[in-house]
Amino acid sequence: MEQFLPPADSLTINITLIAVLLPLAAAVINCILPGKKNKLAGWISTSAILTSAILSALVFSLIWNAHPVHAFIHWFTIGTTELNAGILLNNLSVLMLLLVNLVALPVHLYSIAYMGHDDGFKRYFTYLSFFCFSMLALVVADNLVTLYIFWELVGFSSYLLIGFWFTRDKAVMANKKAFIMNRIGDIGLLMTIIIIYSVFHTFDIDKLFGKTSIVESVLLLNRAGWLSPNENNWIVPGISYHLPIIWQYIAFAGIFLAVAAKSAQFPLHTWLPDAMEGPTSISALIHAATMVAAGVFLLARVYPLFNPVELTILAIVGCFTAFMAATIALAQNDLKRILAYSTISQLGYMVMAMGVGAYSSSLFHLVTHAFFKCLLFLVAGVVIHQVAHIRDDNQLAIDPQNIQFMGGLRKKLPFTFIMAIIGGVALAGLPFTSGFLSKDGILTQTFAWSAGKNPVFELVPVFSVLTTLLTAFYITRMIVKVFFGELRIAPVVSTLKINIDDGGWLYKLPMLLLATGCFFSLFSANPISAGHSWFLSGFLSGSAGEGSYTFLIPVSVTIASLLVIYYAWVIYSNRANPFPQRGILFDIACREWYFDTIYERVIIKPILFIGRACFWTDRRVIDGFIVLFAKAAILFSRIAAFIDRRIIDGFIDLLVKLVRGIGNLVRLFQGGRVQYYLYSMLMAIAAIFILKIFF
Amino acid sequence: MITITDFLLVGAGLFCIGIYMLVSKSNLIQILIGIELMLNAAILNLVAFGRYDRFNNGGQMFALFAIVLAAATTAVTLAIILNVYKRYRTIDPGKIDGLKD
Repeated sequence: MEQFLPPADSLTINITLIAVLLPLAAAVINCILPGKKNKLAGWISTSAILTSAILSALVFSLIWNAHPVHAFIHWFTIGTTELNAGILLNNLSVLMLLLVNLVALPVHLYSIAYMGHDDGFKRYFTYLSFFCFSMLALVVADNLVTLYIFWELVGFSSYLLIGFWFTRDKAVMANKKAFIMNRIGDIGLLMTIIIIYSVFHTFDIDKLFGKTSIVESVLLLNRAGWLSPNENNWIVPGISYHLPIIWQYIAFAGIFLAVAAKSAQFPLHTWLPDAMEGPTSISALIHAATMVAAGVFLLARVYPLFNPVELTILAIVGCFTAFMAATIALAQNDLKRILAYSTISQLGYMVMAMGVGAYSSSLFHLVTHAFFKCLLFLVAGVVIHQVAHIRDDNQLAIDPQNIQFMGGLRKKLPFTFIMAIIGGVALAGLPFTSGFLSKDGILTQTFAWSAGKNPVFELVPVFSVLTTLLTAFYITRMIVKVFFGELRIAPVVSTLKINIDDGGWLYKLPMLLLATGCFFSLFSANPISAGHSWFLSGFLSGSAGEGSYTFLIPVSVTIASLLVIYYAWVIYSNRANPFPQRGILFDIACREWYFDTIYERVIIKPILFIGRACFWTDRRVIDGFIVLFAKAAILFSRIAAFIDRRIIDGFIDLLVKLVRGIGNLVRLFQGGRVQYYLYSMLMAIAAIFILKIFF
Repeated sequence: MITITDFLLVGAGLFCIGIYMLVSKSNLIQILIGIELMLNAAILNLVAFGRYDRFNNGGQMFALFAIVLAAATTAVTLAIILNVYKRYRTIDPGKIDGLKD
């Protein structure tokens, strides 16, 4: 450590380091463990995450509402740029640190049972620990470069886990899609980091966005509208560096892309439903609770960067995403896809909350959502597992994820049923649950934000309330279809053997742990209002709900939600479905607003066409040219070979023949035969005489 | 009348025949005969030039000595041929090439 820290703080830093590095150590140990199905791997990862969770709880208690701790070491220097690597602990990072660990721990336990019979058991836990390490490091990273590194690693481990069953075509397609979508976001983030560095000359998050942040001082200097479009230059005190204002918007666009990709916001949300090809426990941890929250976390980290215009864009996009995903979730039949769209919808809420300035409510919703959505996914995992059992026992050809085949499971899976009810109620945001506290915080602040603005902005709170009601509807539909009524395949198959149960404590304990996080008591003493909870007091900005909204909205939304839930319960438990399974609205919802189709037509096809055109050009033009060149070269070399063989070699052959002839001639005289000696002697004498006579 | 030129022509002829035999025959005996022919050509020349020494008859005398010597060398040569045959089982000079390096 280069800077001086009080001993207590350096102890905190060390504890954090251990908490972050333990999952990495587990991943490395799992890597070198022998055997593909080594049961030890699960317990190594779980004990690592357990220790990590205890340590992060300790760190949380030390840092929460105390002074932030920031420690770093010098990493490397390029030119005059010094790059540090370090840990920044403030309320936000310790909250995320604790949250990730608290969600990861039940998922680890659950995975030991859930993945127990999988051939890739050890690989699964290696990846899982690696993901936990990346995620924990991401939340405590103190500068944008290390943040970016772990941002990439998180995306990479998500890629590995989506494609965990890499022999399935769909899984491979899904992880490719997720990876490409995330790359688009990563490019945006990188772009923003570069812009921020070229303006502020530092990567340090604390310096940039902390309490005495550069960004905020610029805000004051430029009369509170520092980044408004009227300003021509991005003026930074102390640095004579001027950038056109357009760069500020490009930086925002980069952040937005990164958030949209990671947190599955419109227009980059389509990877998340496909990512459900991974194991359900992974969907619970990564694609519902932690990694997808990284986008919201990033927004929270760089929050001072945005100006009102950009925040409005965030609010509108978040609201649109929330509404769109909720409508899609209405018509899906795949259990995990419903939950995936629900996740997108809830993430849209968080982004919208960031946009309307409900900073703390957004984070609050992030935390509560992590618990109940993770719980719902674990429930889905159990249900899918058991339905797959029914399928295998009876040799049925059904999709174990399709809710059309389920029903009546509450009698067979009573514990899971209760857990699903708890998670569903929290998701719907009924009173006494954590979802109520966070969601109503967001709603009230959305109304407060839109008040006195252009009437167009009134649409944002209206649609967010609408989304709440849709959420209540689809989650009721899902639970009713899965757990109530009778098993739908029972009448069709007469000799149905059903031999299923809730599973052992490894299934039950994690769900129980997560269920405790779904109630208000963990967050606020007052079950109806979160206004004075410990959570919101931890974040200064964002005053939760003012005036008449605080009372009116929660009450009316709750009543409306209850009505919707009752309505949904009535129509779906009656079996007779009053909704037509056709029509434009149904098609739009069922086909997921045609996003994949549009992307296929507008982006993928042109790109494939360009690819084919390039291929053709390469084949015909470039290759043709090269082939021509090659043929010319062959011709030339044939000529050269001819010259070589006939002329150069011929000359040498001639020489050789001459030499051989002379040699043979001379050899005659040395043959050892007396008569030749005599003969040559005579010749010599004759030659002498001939010469003598004629010359 | 027979002139000295005629004698010399006969001697030259004999000598040429001897040389031809010497280089072309593949039998040591025939080669020996060739040598004898050449020797006799020389003796014929001695006798022919003997007419210019009518008092001492030196040419004839010298011819007699040469004949004797020729007989002696022939004897020695035959002995050599016999030994060569014993050693190489042939008297073809082409096959006796132990003289080369």
